[in-house]
Amino acid sequence: MGLLSILRRLKQSPEQEVRLLLLGLDNAGKTTLLKQLAAEDISQITPTQGFNIKSVQSSGFKLNVWDIGGQRKIRPYWRNYFENTDVLIYVIDSSDRKRFEETGLELAELLEEEKLAAVPLLIFANKQDLMTATPASELAESLNLHTIRDRMWQVQACSAVTAEGVQDGMTWVCRNITLRKK
Amino acid sequence: MGCFTKFSRPNNTQHAVSGCRVDPKDYMLTGLKDVTVGRLSGKLNGQQFVIQECENCNIYVFDHSATITIDDCVNCRIVLGPVKGSVFFRDCKDIKCVVACQQFRTRDCKKMDVFLCCATQPIIESSTGMKFGCFQYYYPELAFHFKDAGLSIFNNNWSNIHDFTPVSGENNWSLLPEASAVLDFVPAPDSESEFKSVRISSDPSRSIVPLTKGGRRKDSEESCLFVFFAGEYTTANARKMIDEATAKGFVLIQTKEVSMRPEDVKRVFQNSAEDLVEWITKGPVIALELNGDGVVEACKNIAHEVFSGTKIFVSDNKNTSSRDVDSFFNFADMQMGL
Repeated sequence: MGLLSILRRLKQSPEQEVRLLLLGLDNAGKTTLLKQLAAEDISQITPTQGFNIKSVQSSGFKLNVWDIGGQRKIRPYWRNYFENTDVLIYVIDSSDRKRFEETGLELAELLEEEKLAAVPLLIFANKQDLMTATPASELAESLNLHTIRDRMWQVQACSAVTAEGVQDGMTWVCRNITLRKK
Repeated sequence: MGCFTKFSRPNNTQHAVSGCRVDPKDYMLTGLKDVTVGRLSGKLNGQQFVIQECENCNIYVFDHSATITIDDCVNCRIVLGPVKGSVFFRDCKDIKCVVACQQFRTRDCKKMDVFLCCATQPIIESSTGMKFGCFQYYYPELAFHFKDAGLSIFNNNWSNIHDFTPVSGENNWSLLPEASAVLDFVPAPDSESEFKSVRISSDPSRSIVPLTKGGRRKDSEESCLFVFFAGEYTTANARKMIDEATAKGFVLIQTKEVSMRPEDVKRVFQNSAEDLVEWITKGPVIALELNGDGVVEACKNIAHEVFSGTKIFVSDNKNTSSRDVDSFFNFADMQMGL
């Protein structure tokens, strides 16, 4: 699903500018996801040093997707991007078991953030195309997502490189932006 | 590869279930010590590979893969065949390796010597004693594996590393001495091992990836831009040009394989652009920067003698050739960023 078609769906909502924030550990696949949404080449993606942003605009409506670098050293800068986020998209490398605990901790901290209060959360259980990928339901359990009560949330299995599951995730995003704005 | 079924559940989740006969253990190396291990061509076939908790091992992955993580390994020598995605070393120490990948990442690593072919800027984090050299390796299927992994032998950013945790007054990374012989770092497989039949070579002239000087200091002020436009034998021609030029004592600084649009041609080639615009539609171009006193004249001679029927661009004179080089490689760097 391209960014423009997402934007077209959003035009049902009365708001004019929608902001999506892509977070997750380094190497989760955030930038690949962003490039996939923008229908661009994904064979030459550099590890993100700061952030990437994609903007699309149509008939007065604007969609901004912010993709922020996830190295441990630069996670303290995530908070600079929280304000006015309409949906938080948290990307997890489902095949990197060694770092499940780490990503769980980072996610838990994000859910405590004042500036992200009640913001709908989409979790992409990414890299499902890989051998050791943990199924999304198992990931949801190990991250205790069922304890989240203060916002709408969804876990979506996907593969950013094949685009499988990406559209389903973005459909949920569109539906929940409108809800949030109400 | 593999079989997937997807189904929706009422409680907020969707997942893919793999119901295949593949054993994940075939794609992992865990807790090995003092052994020679790895995978021969065809064993991984583009899947993920995981290496963890190995000590004093010689690890040879002679196949292409999707992504490789290497965790908690000590004192190992490792060869990783072309990786389509990322290679990520975490908590490793005393590693000597040969790696080809789209992304190269490390975190919490110490003392690594890396002969690298990386399509994008390599990054390190909380790592020290990291040394880098240009990928130099050959085994019979390697060229095919590069293609399978979607990697170009001409896109190699091995010498410009980004450090997420620089320390003032110190360098966490540096370049290996120029004449470093790969086999002194990562030996050929033991003649008793399952890899003894693999005919490897680390001879620079046989390396699948051309040897580039990268960020090392140039010997001469004179550089020349040589560009091959897409045709039937572009890769072979580029390699031939590199051989001809290096035989004459010139140095290959950097290479790039990149697609160009008409507006790029005008900006990069300026006065020569008109003739070249129609040539960029067939595919990506391959560009070389060659360096040495007299290199421009030499390149023009080779172009005339060896490549007279071929669609190429050569710098015209040594006063403007530096500008050609900068114009092209600045464009290429921007193109390959986001």
